[in-house]
Amino acid sequence: MGWRHVVSRRLRALFRRDAVEREMEEELALHYELAVEERIRGGEAPRLARANALQEFRGADGAREMYRDARGTGWVERLAQDGRYAVRTLVATPAFTIVIIATLALGIGANSAVFSVVHAVLLRELPYEAPDRLAMVWETDRDSGTEREGASIPDYFDFRARARSFVSLAAFRPVPMNRTGDAAPERVWSARVTREFLTTLGVTPVLGRDFVEAEAAPGGPPVVLVSTRYWRTRLGAEPAVLGRTLRLDDSLFTIVGVLPERFHFPDDEVELWAIDQMTPTSGERFRHHISVVGRLASTASVRSAQQEMDGVARALEEEYPQSNTARGVYVEPLEQVLLGDVRPALLLLLGAVGVVLLIACVNAANLLLARRAARAREIAVRAALGAGRGRLVQQLVVESGVIALAAATVGLLLAQLGLRALVAIAPRSLPRAEEIAVDGTVLMVTLGVSMAVALVFGLLPAAGGQQTTPAQTLSSAGSRTGTGSREHTRLRNLLVVAEIAMAVLLVAGAGLLLRSFWTIRGVNPGFEPENTLAVRYQLPPSRYPQSFSNYPAGWERTFAFQRDVLERVRAVPGVRRAALAFNDPLTPGFTNSFLIEGREPEAAQGQAEVPTRPVSAGYFAAAGVPLLAGRDFAESDAVGDPPVLIINQAMADRYFAGTDPLGHRIRFWGTTREIVGVVGNERFDGLAAEAPPAMYPPIAQAPATLGTLLVRTAGDPHALLPAVREAIWSVDRDLAPFDVRTMEEAIDASLAQQRFLALLLAAFGGVALVLALVGVYGVIAYSVAQRGREIGIRLALGATSRRVRRAVIVEGARMAVVGGAIGIVLALGAGRLVRSQLYGVSAADPLTLAAAAGLLIAIAILGSAIPAWRASAMAPGEVLRGS
Amino acid sequence: MSNPDRELLQGTLDLLILKAVSATPMHAWGLTQRIREMSREVLSVNPGSLYPALERLQDRGWIEPRWGVTENNRRAKFYQLTASGRKRLEVETEAWRRLVVGVNAVLRTT
Repeated sequence: MGWRHVVSRRLRALFRRDAVEREMEEELALHYELAVEERIRGGEAPRLARANALQEFRGADGAREMYRDARGTGWVERLAQDGRYAVRTLVATPAFTIVIIATLALGIGANSAVFSVVHAVLLRELPYEAPDRLAMVWETDRDSGTEREGASIPDYFDFRARARSFVSLAAFRPVPMNRTGDAAPERVWSARVTREFLTTLGVTPVLGRDFVEAEAAPGGPPVVLVSTRYWRTRLGAEPAVLGRTLRLDDSLFTIVGVLPERFHFPDDEVELWAIDQMTPTSGERFRHHISVVGRLASTASVRSAQQEMDGVARALEEEYPQSNTARGVYVEPLEQVLLGDVRPALLLLLGAVGVVLLIACVNAANLLLARRAARAREIAVRAALGAGRGRLVQQLVVESGVIALAAATVGLLLAQLGLRALVAIAPRSLPRAEEIAVDGTVLMVTLGVSMAVALVFGLLPAAGGQQTTPAQTLSSAGSRTGTGSREHTRLRNLLVVAEIAMAVLLVAGAGLLLRSFWTIRGVNPGFEPENTLAVRYQLPPSRYPQSFSNYPAGWERTFAFQRDVLERVRAVPGVRRAALAFNDPLTPGFTNSFLIEGREPEAAQGQAEVPTRPVSAGYFAAAGVPLLAGRDFAESDAVGDPPVLIINQAMADRYFAGTDPLGHRIRFWGTTREIVGVVGNERFDGLAAEAPPAMYPPIAQAPATLGTLLVRTAGDPHALLPAVREAIWSVDRDLAPFDVRTMEEAIDASLAQQRFLALLLAAFGGVALVLALVGVYGVIAYSVAQRGREIGIRLALGATSRRVRRAVIVEGARMAVVGGAIGIVLALGAGRLVRSQLYGVSAADPLTLAAAAGLLIAIAILGSAIPAWRASAMAPGEVLRGS
Repeated sequence: MSNPDRELLQGTLDLLILKAVSATPMHAWGLTQRIREMSREVLSVNPGSLYPALERLQDRGWIEPRWGVTENNRRAKFYQLTASGRKRLEVETEAWRRLVVGVNAVLRTT
């Protein structure tokens, strides 16, 4: 007995429902028959007896329902009953059902897809222990305004010794390494990291161990940690990998550990982390080539750490004025460093796709509203028969819930497909792209969103029908339309206006991004990207000694490589020109401060740093950068020859305005160089940034172990790739060329984020247009159907069909104009969100906004045209008879 | 169930049903007849109240159903009192008597 008894009774009621119901019917039937017999025995005529007994049973159903209520499983059954009812009515109107589910599925699917991206990239915790306690420690340069520069090795050791705000500080520097020994040389993105690397990040290897102290000491055994991905794809996923050696840049590194699957640092591309056995004397204080990441002490915050580091930096300025004057420190949360660049773009996308969902909701609400207006009588009858208001609303919500669930299912399938396309066109720089998937969280969020959506579009129509009583609805039995229709009409018009406004917002956003994309694509990069192949290489220090302190002593092999590789590549048939540069066009490379001879006082006030790109003779011709004055480098500008320099037009304008820069001498890297030429401006940091002042020293007079081989070809650059690669290998068999691409591809890649955003917003805008078209069409068609009598009368009284057409179209256009105006206001308000993503076009660009609104008005007219034509073609007599 | 009238009514109906099935198992229609007879045609129970009450009493474990045959050989569901139902009937009867005595005393006061 007790609760167990109750539970078993209810369970039986739930799961053996048919049996229980049959018994119930049998019981009631007997009751009824016995009651009738009793009445007949009492002298009533059989027919009357039956009627009276029925009266007593008024609504045997009612009794049964109460019966179920008493059992306490009522709500479950009512829900199931409503669900069955909803499915039945939805199946009965397939066209309606398909349109509404497709509309919502589109909205939900697009949201799930974009949310999957946002979730994987922005929301998921970074794969480190307590990632919010991690911060990058940059050095800054007040002279040049640089905020995020690397640290120097001695500075790093001083930070470690002095800072109390960090439990540990690790240094790292990403380097491409050549892996040789097995097959063709392979370039592996790696990082040299200090002993504290894993302890700072709070990560333990899934296989093997962390570095140990002995391995961090200079001359200790070189060891390396590998990523799970590298272990799987390159090392055969063998557990016995520990202790194996990898030949990297001609040194043998022993694998001591495999890091967890999700672990990435600092980006997705790095596969190996090799021990850096640095000491305070392994680098000069003026070379800022390492990055520092630290874990905050439990007592410190980013702000307090910043304060402490300001003090440390000031002390270093005093102690080492030569190298550290104007140097500060910037403590930046790691999360901001890793994700800060993509966050605004992704949030913009999430916002846009949210608007798409809202539009879909509004459309669905409109469709439901039309349907419920048609079902007003049915609902009124049920209300008259005693169904409570709550019960009716519940039924409506259950119906929209069923629709939303179906839409969520279809939407998730769409999301799966869309996600694949999304990831395919996503910029390569998107962090954690490989983790993007429709996972449990996305599923739950989609479900949650769908239910919220169901409530919104389910309750909107319910709210519209509130004012009418069943009696009103039923008494207007003659006309086909319920009396609720006036409120409904107003609500539906309102919804369409809202929908158009939101569509204008999206289309305007898409328009702005597209215009911005086209503008940026039309930018002259300052070089000729056609038929140009770029191949990067990194000369390993083992075979190419690279001591910076006594440059150029010991750099002979590097110079020889540069000479030989150019000679071999130029000999390849089909190669028109070849040249070397420290870094290829469009990538900023490094910047340098400098001193113009005879103008030292200027420099004392703080001199800006400018991009400095060492290039070989023939670079400007190969890249297609015009020589404006003076001469190009020649083979005679080699190491040991008088140092020379070429500057760009921007530098000439900024520092030598009104004078001839040729013959002036500029000092940097401890050498004074004479300006021998001025070249046109080429863009240095992608297409969006204006060309900065820049300097080009000859690569033969600069320490450069990293380089780009630029090859201008007669025909398809790709076809020459094998020959070019062979030419490189003929000089150095163990060198792995990487980042092979044409300059046109490089330009495309530099625009990847803009293209991604523009494409997606254009797609969302397109969806919004289609939905708006459907929305306007639906409302106008419904309004025409409703006013069939009125239109018929007008036609019968002699209105021309043209006038009828015009009246209908004006109705649609009026909504569009109001919606368009609101949309422009919305777009102006949202400008802040999109501004950071625009180039060469204002967020309030009147042309784009007006075009968006105009487009929607055109769409609205199109949407009203079909119903208008249908209305004007009605035969008046038929319409009047019909009702 | 905050309405005191309804609570009283329901409690009374439960008491009547428990009493009606206390002598012999009854089916639903029989119950309505029996209550009418016992109350000398004063009280009648309609199906709308009867069935929920029967469900409630079953849930509490005071009555239990058993399929049987009527005097006219028809299959019917008979409700009979359980052991705890019998105890409950005594408690409820006692409570009712006290209530009646109390209410009468109040009404007699001038």
